[in-house]
Amino acid sequence: MMNNRIVQAYRQAPWRTQLQWTGLFLLVLVFVASVTSIYLNVSASAAASGREIQRMGQQSEDLERSIADLRTQLAMLTSAANMEKRAEAMNFKPAQTDQTMYVTIPGYGGREPAIKAPLPGPNPVVAQPLIKSSYTESLSDWLFQGFFRPLEKQVQP
Amino acid sequence: MKTPFFQRYLLIASIFLVIGIAIIIQMVRIQHSEAAAALLKQADMYGVETRTIYPERGSIFDRQGHLLAGNETVYEVGVDLAQVTDPDTIAATVSSLLGVDYIQARDAAKRPYVEGKTVYAVLADFATSAQVEQLTNLQKDYADQALHTRNGEKAPSLAGLVFSPHLKRSYPEKELASNVVGFYKYLDREGGRGFFGVEEKYNDLLSGTPQRVRIPYDPNKAREIPQIPPGASLILTIDREIQAMTERVLDHALKTTGAVNGTIIIEDPNTGELLAIATTPRMDLNQYWKFGEIFPNPTPFDRTVGTTYEPGSVFKILTMASALDNGAVTPDTNFVDTGTFEIGGAYIHNWDGGAWGPQDMTGCLRHSLNVCLAWTASKLGPDNFYKYIQAFGIGHQTGVDLAGEVSYPIRIPGDGQWILMDLGTNSFGQGIAVTPIEMVMAISAVANNDGKMMGPHVLKAMIDNGRQYNTTPQVVGTPIKAETAKTLTGMLTRSLEEESSDALVPGYRVAGKTGTAEIPGPGGYESNLTNASFAGWGPIDDPRFLVYIWLEKPESSIWGSVVAAPVFSETVKNLVVLMDIPPDNVRQTLHGQ
Repeated sequence: MMNNRIVQAYRQAPWRTQLQWTGLFLLVLVFVASVTSIYLNVSASAAASGREIQRMGQQSEDLERSIADLRTQLAMLTSAANMEKRAEAMNFKPAQTDQTMYVTIPGYGGREPAIKAPLPGPNPVVAQPLIKSSYTESLSDWLFQGFFRPLEKQVQP
Repeated sequence: MKTPFFQRYLLIASIFLVIGIAIIIQMVRIQHSEAAAALLKQADMYGVETRTIYPERGSIFDRQGHLLAGNETVYEVGVDLAQVTDPDTIAATVSSLLGVDYIQARDAAKRPYVEGKTVYAVLADFATSAQVEQLTNLQKDYADQALHTRNGEKAPSLAGLVFSPHLKRSYPEKELASNVVGFYKYLDREGGRGFFGVEEKYNDLLSGTPQRVRIPYDPNKAREIPQIPPGASLILTIDREIQAMTERVLDHALKTTGAVNGTIIIEDPNTGELLAIATTPRMDLNQYWKFGEIFPNPTPFDRTVGTTYEPGSVFKILTMASALDNGAVTPDTNFVDTGTFEIGGAYIHNWDGGAWGPQDMTGCLRHSLNVCLAWTASKLGPDNFYKYIQAFGIGHQTGVDLAGEVSYPIRIPGDGQWILMDLGTNSFGQGIAVTPIEMVMAISAVANNDGKMMGPHVLKAMIDNGRQYNTTPQVVGTPIKAETAKTLTGMLTRSLEEESSDALVPGYRVAGKTGTAEIPGPGGYESNLTNASFAGWGPIDDPRFLVYIWLEKPESSIWGSVVAAPVFSETVKNLVVLMDIPPDNVRQTLHGQ
């Protein structure tokens, strides 16, 4: 008798048990829904980024073609024959040896051959980052960068 | 205790469970059905595009960075057969604007659309941006008109006309330096390659590596899109301004002398860098299909490397250099010219048939005496003479980085064909055939005052993967001592000055030698036709240029001293301004400051 009373005293009320089960079910539901929504969101973002990469790749190709085209058009406009015609139209004439005055300019070593790209050297070319740092930095990086940046500036010569 | 509704809840839950299980079974069944396999196969087909990517052909620049060969955008004009509604209008429009055959265009546009098989037809290629702009505007106009037509009324339409851009080789300077640059057969998009000059010599570098790639449409596989690097670009040693000037001077010389062809080479003798190569004929490289018309067989594309000729007296530079270096003669060695010299049973005579009496070696060069030089060569001896001539690279290709180089082997003692008479004739540049570039390389050993023979080249630098790799000058031999080079330069300077040569340039001391060579024909030498040459360099105390001139069959005079020497003077007068070389007195004053 005594035991039954103790069990009854500690037994959960039926409505509490139901509430616990409902809560648990909702918790699982919320968890699954969260995971699903995060997954969908990340997948959609990845697909959108992929599309953006494809679009930008195409744009890059178009721009490279356009650059090559514009460079050639510019070269056509400034070709030796065209420049000579323009110079003649402006009453310029080729300089002769007796019309030329030579002066020494300190530090000037004459016309240098074209440098169209960096020369190979001991320092490797610093590759441009493909992904912005804002996409890779951690929360702490982001939080603390504001504190350390002024210090970095101070130590710079 | 179970609620009164428990059974009902259980029933509803069971129904939902059964429905859920049924949905899952159906999903699995659909995923593994034949239709699903066909769909997946179709997705694979549409999900990836396989095509060959031809990298952008590298550009070619002059030494100052001016573009000599680049690429411009042109368009392939085609029809998306699924979209075509009015093939007649399409055919009529492309026919009138692009010059395409109407019937062919109409037949192409009328081809029935077959999904996966016949979806696209090419109507024209290499349409310019302006032409495509016209077509696009018309396409829009017709589309606008179609919106305002009444029912049953048919408006013209260019629906389905599509334009695919691609690059085409282009030469902004057209004819300038055409013999150096060469051309690329751009009309052949699949198998195009460079022909002649730098385009052929460096074809592999310029073209990059075409690759057959699979490009996924799936955005999640965007990272798998391959990156094909463009071909390497080249910076040449050629200077556009010097080249233009040289071609101008050459064309004028051909007009005034009546020579059938001509060549002028300008080289930096210290490095072997070729600053200008002007020759004839030249062609607009953008219209390369006219090649056969401009260069009828067997005309070489570049005479500087593709033709050998008997150079005549300019060769005496090498004979005298050899004899001085060997010690067989000195500048003061005396020779009494009797007007004839017998060697190997043959008699050598001077250019005027006269006897010039006592001469030192400078006098022999000044009067260009064949007799004296044949005597000098005999004093040197055949073994030494040909040893030196071979050390100067005569009879071999120079290795210049231009396509189509040829050489003519020399006869030497012991090869069965050589006879002693050859020593006499070879000493003054007859009976021996060289290319102009061979002479330039050989003479560079004298002109740079170092005795070092520099390898002639046109490649200054290569740009690959974003880096510029400069070439380094190559010493290909040291046939003579520096002292010999300086001595001979002095002798040739005095010989020009004492002769009051037309080659002289006011304000600048230059060294040089004329050459007049008879041209061998089927029946022997044709005395009325000559090759006139001149080789000169300067300033003699700080050599910056070596100029080699060859005029073929001049009519105004047969003599190199009359027709070629003034061309040298004219070239150098312009060259010193373009190269910022002050007159000798100014230069020495500036150096003294």
